[in-house]
Amino acid sequence: MDNESVIQIRNLSKVYRDFWGRKKVQALNSLSLDVKKGEVFGLLGPNGSGKTTTLKLLLGLLFPTEGEITVLGRPAHDVEKNEHIGYLPEESYLYRFLNADETLDFYGRLFKMSPQVRKERKDALIEQVGLQHARRRQLKEYSKGMTRRIGLAQALINNPDLVMLDEPTSGLDPLGTRDMKDMILKLRDEGKTVVMCSHLLADVQDVCDRIAILYGGELKVMGSVSELLQAQDETQMLTTHLSDDALREVEAVLAKHQAKMMKVDHPTTTLEDLFLRTVQESQARPGRRFVPGERPGEDGNAPETESGPSDAAKVEGAAS
Amino acid sequence: MYSDVVAFNLVQAVTQWLLTLVVCGGIALLVAVVLSISIGGLSGPSTIWMAVTRGVRDLVSMSPKRIGAIAGLTWKESFRRQDVLVGVVFVLLFMFAGWFLTSTDLDTPAKPYISFVLTAIRWLILPVALLLSCWGLPADIKGRSLHTVVTKPVRRSEVVLGRMVGYASIMTLGVVIMGLVGYVWIERQVPESARHQLVSRVPEYGRLTYLDRNGLPSLTALNVGDMWDYRGFVEGNTKAAAIFNFSDLDTDRLSASDQLQLEYRFEVFRSHKGDIDKSVQAQFMLVNEQSGLKVPYPRVPFEINEFADIQTRSAEDGGREPIITIPRQLTYTPEGELSSKTVDLFDDIIHDGTLTVQVRCVDPGQYLGAARTDLFIRLPDKPFAVGFFKAIFGTWMMAILVIVLGTTASTFVKGPVATLLTFALILTGLTLRPFMSEVLEQYRLSGAVEGGGMLESGYRMVTQMNTQVELPGGFLTDSIQWIDSQMLLGLLLLQNVIPDFTHFDMTPYVANGFDVPWNNSMMPGIATTLAFILPALILGYFCLQWRELEAK
Repeated sequence: MDNESVIQIRNLSKVYRDFWGRKKVQALNSLSLDVKKGEVFGLLGPNGSGKTTTLKLLLGLLFPTEGEITVLGRPAHDVEKNEHIGYLPEESYLYRFLNADETLDFYGRLFKMSPQVRKERKDALIEQVGLQHARRRQLKEYSKGMTRRIGLAQALINNPDLVMLDEPTSGLDPLGTRDMKDMILKLRDEGKTVVMCSHLLADVQDVCDRIAILYGGELKVMGSVSELLQAQDETQMLTTHLSDDALREVEAVLAKHQAKMMKVDHPTTTLEDLFLRTVQESQARPGRRFVPGERPGEDGNAPETESGPSDAAKVEGAAS
Repeated sequence: MYSDVVAFNLVQAVTQWLLTLVVCGGIALLVAVVLSISIGGLSGPSTIWMAVTRGVRDLVSMSPKRIGAIAGLTWKESFRRQDVLVGVVFVLLFMFAGWFLTSTDLDTPAKPYISFVLTAIRWLILPVALLLSCWGLPADIKGRSLHTVVTKPVRRSEVVLGRMVGYASIMTLGVVIMGLVGYVWIERQVPESARHQLVSRVPEYGRLTYLDRNGLPSLTALNVGDMWDYRGFVEGNTKAAAIFNFSDLDTDRLSASDQLQLEYRFEVFRSHKGDIDKSVQAQFMLVNEQSGLKVPYPRVPFEINEFADIQTRSAEDGGREPIITIPRQLTYTPEGELSSKTVDLFDDIIHDGTLTVQVRCVDPGQYLGAARTDLFIRLPDKPFAVGFFKAIFGTWMMAILVIVLGTTASTFVKGPVATLLTFALILTGLTLRPFMSEVLEQYRLSGAVEGGGMLESGYRMVTQMNTQVELPGGFLTDSIQWIDSQMLLGLLLLQNVIPDFTHFDMTPYVANGFDVPWNNSMMPGIATTLAFILPALILGYFCLQWRELEAK
């Protein structure tokens, strides 16, 4: 095994068969890839492309038709490897009759943790995923977002070296999505390896170091996100506000170098950022209407307004 | 109560178990190797070898902590899903059962109460154990909660065993509570006149042989026309006798009370009406085979409890099988002598732990029917609770076996199919297995089965040929008989893989006021349950291990 590789997949194929052994679907076809230690690796693809199948093959939930899989230096079917793996399934398949405390306690017991360690881990994780208020409620009473959070907590109960996340942001509100992405980046900062599969491209772009795009069970593209998304024959500059004169001068300079200004506009923030700031501001100043252009804390007496945010948005854009 | 007493042979049972395990394992391995070659070519056997070695490793390195965790989960699951509501049905049954239970049988007045309690517990526990064990794992797989569990360092053997332990602990609690409630209910509900039946009699059975009308030894006696030759009949006022030979008696224990109790229940066949005001009479002869000493007792012949007698006897008379108490010192007049002699029962008659009792019918032309269990030495009684809770233990063992089988079935089929499969196994074990045993025993003793095997009996039915007529010789007959003999070997194997559920029903003992014998009843039950745990665990493990949980 490569020293850096946490996961090695070689010529992996998976065929789903019916009861009589007849071929139903070729879910994967000769897939080969490596996941390096400490990176966040994203498996992308449309529905039915084979990304979840790959994850389940890595976990030993499915058996390969052909090919080899090595996870943390051990075969995928080896139970011992699971000591160092955390898995968040797509739908957080947990026992709905347990509460959060019992859920984490149960999974902790499967790792043979002592009662003291279990208590420490579950207290820390419940706080980390923000479920202190609901730790005694049975999971059947949880919303989808809360279920994802407790799902993540169970995946981290053993402080794993390798975390596999299946659609980690699915069902989460923007706040939860941001928390999840922050968590993934934190895990990477702690030196852990994260493998996630998702079809929410923006989320993948935000957190993944490398990605693989699957289509029809075959690997189509693989590489680092920055390299894959970079447009090599174009250059982008971000400046503070420029006057029309300044713009004309820049255009002249560009023409001198045989370059052409293709687009001039004011950059916008993302809807996610806007949403998060609105929520944060609303929490900080309950009962006040949020003015998007105004920075939090800049003016404690921000005027309430009934009008649209067009002017303020300009200011916001300039500020950013 | 009619029961034949066959001592349990542990060595034979263990040998048979090992043999069956090896044969079944060998067949499974052979099938696996053939399949693996057909699918994976020459690398197939090595895959099987790796799977087997991994299986052995997984089975021997199971973690009690993880098994405990899964068992604990099972416990919580059952309580939170309110599976224990079956207790309400139990309470309702007991609240109103007293209204409908009455006994008209003076012989066993407490029997309906005891039978009701033990049967109710049995039939409430059985479906709960069946449904819990058959639906648990499939629900886990369907809900995919098992998928999360097996992505932890959990061996699939731990999942199977953890589930079994969990369900077993739930059933244990259920059986204990039901048993205690049932016991208290019996103690409170059984009428005062029937309370004497709340006892656990401990019988010591002997070996039965006969003397024919000329006084010659015989293994059988007359059949008076019954289809069932359970009893042999001896002719009255002849030399014919039923001889009960009791051996290995604990003389020190018996002599502690300075008396010996014999309890009997013979049948009578009248070849003429005779004196209808009196029952047919019989007499015991206590014999020391070594010295030839023969002492008649009682000195005056006693009346046999014929059917009419049982009906008319009052509860004050005991309302049950008559008992003859033989004192230590016996006075008798030897044949041909005029003076009486006194002998010591334990010193002079019982020799080296052996006592022979001859039973003769006194009335000419009448017949006394005796079976092995019709006469026994009644050892000191045990409290009713002893027999009752032994029967409850039998129910518990049955529940454990159902759980083991149900959990195993649920590793390879879905809940409804697992339920049907296990239930079919229970039914087969209750009804067909005794028949299979009978057929195989006949084959073992005589090398043939009356009427032939499956093909021969089919042939006979089609050709309307009765069982007394021999089949025409030739290739067809030879082939039919050869195939039948091979099928009987298959039946032998099948018999050993179908648990005998009749071992767990100890109600007849308790309801008739007997202790549940350890060697004849408890041991077969315990052995049956234990025998299935390991093979079921191995089978369940491999089925779950080789099952793609996420297969589409």
